[in-house]
Amino acid sequence: MGNVKPEKRTDMNKKGITALVFLTLLIFTSSVFIGPKLIDPFRMDKVAREIIISIRLPRIIISILVGAALGSSGAILQGMLRNPLADPYILGLSSGSALMAVVSLLFDNIFFGLFTLPMLAFLGAIAAGAAVGALGQKKGNLLPERLLLAGVGLGFLFSAALMLVMSLSTDEGLRRATFWLFGDLSMADWTLVPYGIAFILLGFGLSLWRAKALNALMLGDEVAYSLGFSPSKERWVLFLAVGLMTASSVSLGGVVGFIGLLVPHIIRSFVGSDNRILIPMSALAGGALLCAADTIGRTVVAPNELPAGVITAIIGAPYFLYLLKKKDLLGVS
Amino acid sequence: MVALDLKNIHFSYGKGSFIHDLTMTADEGGFIGLIGVNGSGKSTVLKLAAGILKPQSGAVDLRGRPIGCYKGKERARLISYLPQILSFNIPLRVKEFIAMGFYPHDRLPGTSLDDALEITGLQGKKNSYMAELSGGERKRAYIAMTLIQGADILLMDEPLANLDIKYQIELIKLLRTLKDEKGITVIMALHDINMMFQFDVLHVINRGQLAASGAPREIMTGELLEKTFDIDFKTFKKMYFFGQSDKNSKNRYFSLRDVSIFHRTME
Repeated sequence: MGNVKPEKRTDMNKKGITALVFLTLLIFTSSVFIGPKLIDPFRMDKVAREIIISIRLPRIIISILVGAALGSSGAILQGMLRNPLADPYILGLSSGSALMAVVSLLFDNIFFGLFTLPMLAFLGAIAAGAAVGALGQKKGNLLPERLLLAGVGLGFLFSAALMLVMSLSTDEGLRRATFWLFGDLSMADWTLVPYGIAFILLGFGLSLWRAKALNALMLGDEVAYSLGFSPSKERWVLFLAVGLMTASSVSLGGVVGFIGLLVPHIIRSFVGSDNRILIPMSALAGGALLCAADTIGRTVVAPNELPAGVITAIIGAPYFLYLLKKKDLLGVS
Repeated sequence: MVALDLKNIHFSYGKGSFIHDLTMTADEGGFIGLIGVNGSGKSTVLKLAAGILKPQSGAVDLRGRPIGCYKGKERARLISYLPQILSFNIPLRVKEFIAMGFYPHDRLPGTSLDDALEITGLQGKKNSYMAELSGGERKRAYIAMTLIQGADILLMDEPLANLDIKYQIELIKLLRTLKDEKGITVIMALHDINMMFQFDVLHVINRGQLAASGAPREIMTGELLEKTFDIDFKTFKKMYFFGQSDKNSKNRYFSLRDVSIFHRTME
């Protein structure tokens, strides 16, 4: 790796990026036609069109949004906390969200109909995020180690509460809750799409806008400061971006593992650690992976479904381990 | 003109005062060494000067305006800070890392990436990962980034430590050239007293206070050395200068300068 000439490397980047974009488009298109009912794109009847428009498309869009949010949040957190083990769930937002979601499932969505679960899940994540932010700061300065520990600590607390609620619940509620906890996109619906797009694009935009600052933060606060950034302010903005994206993704798709932790590492091994490229590419790859996983999950055991989170890990983990063996994943040989 | 002005600075890290009533100025184009033992407060003074730490009382003025008044990028073009402890788990390639010195600039500044690599002898390493560099190479990569950032005032915390003698000499030469040609101001913490004659002005820091300040040859007496470094000057002379001494002035360190290996190399 060390001897690759810069021109060659840039070529490799461009090729990799183009390949990824094409792969995403391919996955997107094929997932429209693949499912419990295989649809022939050239001979669509009214039912097929109805299935695509009202069932598959919203689900595909949401899977891409959720995957993109997780992939980019993971990349941001790994840079911001200077920790390769960071992922969007380490801040405890997902545990707060899961607690609320499961409560909503077990009590049968009594409050606001279809919106109850995503809304409660989102509120749970935001509340957890606010608590982690409050505990992770000292004199208004968000400290990476403190933030990590606050997230892990609160996560345990929420998980314990979750287990408590689940152990007291009925069988049917329990099955649905377990499903949701592994990543469940079956509740996808057009009415949720605008919210998903709004919050996730807002977070994504913020993080792209501050990508240079995030690069500087990887060098330590003092050097980042010397380069003209205010580390404390930048961390709050990035934390807000990650919080928005994680909260929306969990509320839309449950707790999808793997993507937030390992997709950024896989992408890093191809395009390097410059966050201006890493963040959008991780988003793209995360979206493509979740879309593919969900298509497989709703197809292979139809009419039943497998949770998307399980499939992402089954596809992704072996590939990640292969890369770990073959390449220097973290920029360390 | 005064580039950087620290006025009656008091600072503490929590318990007990660490810097007491320190007043120090750096003139435009000054080549200033900050010397003192470990824990004397050199690094803290540099961080206060950079604006990274805020004093409990007193003021830091950058070109006549409080340093807090500057916008980030504007400040970064005026003043840069090179820390003593350099982070090593940076997942970037050397050239990507060094190019981050361009961040405060909207247009490309004077020093190009290739120049910076050339000067710091890192041409052959530009595609390596930062984690693959040795300690000295990593230091040079940070110096290369500082050069690209190209600020008018350079605050450097022990940039000479860990460097091969060749690069110590090269760095001093380079900074002197930059000072002569572009009028930059350098404030550098060091504790190798062999290097102190390379500076126009020395500020001696002892227990958080300015113990002396002036041209090295005027202020560096045996007495000050004993006090600052907590050593016995006679033993020191024997160990560092092979027992030779100048008969005319017993106590003046500068009279020994011809014996100093470093000094001969530089001139």
